Amino acid sequence: MAKVLRGRPSTPSFRSPLQRANVLVILGSIFFCALLQPHRIPGMVLLETAPNWLLIWVVTWSVKRSPWQGLTAGLALGLIQDGLTAAQPTHALSLGIAGFLTSSLDKQRFIEEDFISALLLVFVMALVVEVIFAGQLALGGNWIISDLWSHLQRVGLSSAIISSLWTPLLYVPLNRWWDRFNDLMER
Amino acid sequence: MNRFVLWWRRYQSTLLVSLLILSAAGVVRATQGAGVADLNHLLVWPFKSDGAAQQRLLDAQSQALQQRVQELETQNRSLKSLLDLPPLPNQKKIAASVISRGSDNWWQQLTLGKGSIDGVRVDAVVVAPGGLVGRVMSVTPKTSRVLLVTDPTSQVGITISRSRQVGILRGRSNRSGVLEFFDKTPDIKKDDVVVTSTLSSRFPAGIAVGRITDVNLDRRPVPQVVVEFSVPLEHVEWVNVLTNG
Repeated sequence: MAKVLRGRPSTPSFRSPLQRANVLVILGSIFFCALLQPHRIPGMVLLETAPNWLLIWVVTWSVKRSPWQGLTAGLALGLIQDGLTAAQPTHALSLGIAGFLTSSLDKQRFIEEDFISALLLVFVMALVVEVIFAGQLALGGNWIISDLWSHLQRVGLSSAIISSLWTPLLYVPLNRWWDRFNDLMER
Repeated sequence: MNRFVLWWRRYQSTLLVSLLILSAAGVVRATQGAGVADLNHLLVWPFKSDGAAQQRLLDAQSQALQQRVQELETQNRSLKSLLDLPPLPNQKKIAASVISRGSDNWWQQLTLGKGSIDGVRVDAVVVAPGGLVGRVMSVTPKTSRVLLVTDPTSQVGITISRSRQVGILRGRSNRSGVLEFFDKTPDIKKDDVVVTSTLSSRFPAGIAVGRITDVNLDRRPVPQVVVEFSVPLEHVEWVNVLTNG
C-alpha cells in the first residue's frame, strides 16, 4: 500500500540533475518506442502483427500514476501514433482511454506488484485499444463491416499476445528507474 | 532321335531361361525402355528436390518474358510513332528499399528509404516486380510513406484486360481486394487479369494489379468480385517509384 502511494512522482521538472535525467529517460523511451513501432522484427511478429510499443509505454507509465497522468500520456502518445500513420481516425482516443483505465484500476485489490500484472494489463488494454479503433473505423465508413470484424478478431488477439509478451523489455527497466528515482527524490 | 531327347533333357532349362531373358529384353526394346524409365523415376524422386535448379529455370523463363515485353514495348512505341499517336509517357523509376511498415495494425502502409531529396513526390505511384503497390501519401527529405493498394481507403480505377470492363478496386487489409462495377451485369470471369484503367487520373494505365479469384454476381445487395493482388505485399523489400520526366 505504502509503496504504491509513494510511487507517484510529481510532474517532471528541470529543477535538479536527477529530474533532468528523468525527463531524458521519459523522452528517450518514448522515442525508442516510436522507432520500434513500424518495424516487423523477426521473432517479434505474430501473424504479421508487431508489439504495440506505444501502448506498452502508456501502460508502464500509468500503472503507478494518477488517472489524469495516465490520460495525458495516452493522449500524447496517441497523437504521436497519428503522426506515424495517418491522422484520421485518431489514435489518441483509444490510447487515452487505455491510460486512464490503467491508472484508475484499484491495483491493491487484485493485482500483485510485479511485471506479470503489467503483462496482464497490457493484454487487456491491447484488446481495448483495438476494439475502440475498430469502432472509429466503422464510423468512418471506408471499411466493409464484415471485413472489419474478421480483421479485428485476428489483429486484436495477436496484438494482445505479442504486446504482453514483450512488455517486460520496457516495463522492468522503466519501473526500476522510477522506483529508484522516487527513492532518491524523497531523500 | 534318342540323341535329340538326351540333348533336350540336358539343355532344356538353359534354353527356356535364355528364351525368357531374351523375350524380356525384347519387350524392353519394343517399349523403348518405358519400364526402366518409370522405375528410374520412382527410385530417383525422393532425392530430386533440387529447388535451386527449378529457380534457375524460372528465372530464365521470367527473363525471357521480360525481354519479350521490352521488345513489344519498343515495337508498340515505333508503331505509335508511325501512327502519329502520343507516345507512352516516359517515366523515370526511382528504386527504393522498404525500411519499415505500418505503425498500427489497421493502416496498410510502407515507409521507403527515398524522399523528396531523391525526387519522390506526394501522389507518386509505387510499383514492384509483379505490379502495383500503392501511392505515396507523404514525404520527408529522406523517406516517403506509401499507402498500399490493400488499404480500405485506397481506391484504384481498373480495367479487366480481357473484356475492357471498367471498375473500382478497393483494399480489404489482406491479400485480396473487392471490385465494384458501374454495370449491373459486368462481363467478368475467374482468372481475368486486372490492370489499372486508362480512365484513372491517379495511376498510369496498364500496370498489372492482380487476378480475379472469386466472382459472385448473385450476391445481394451488391455483386462481389474478389481480386488477388499480384505483388506479395507482405514480403516486398524493394520497389520502384514512378516519377514523370
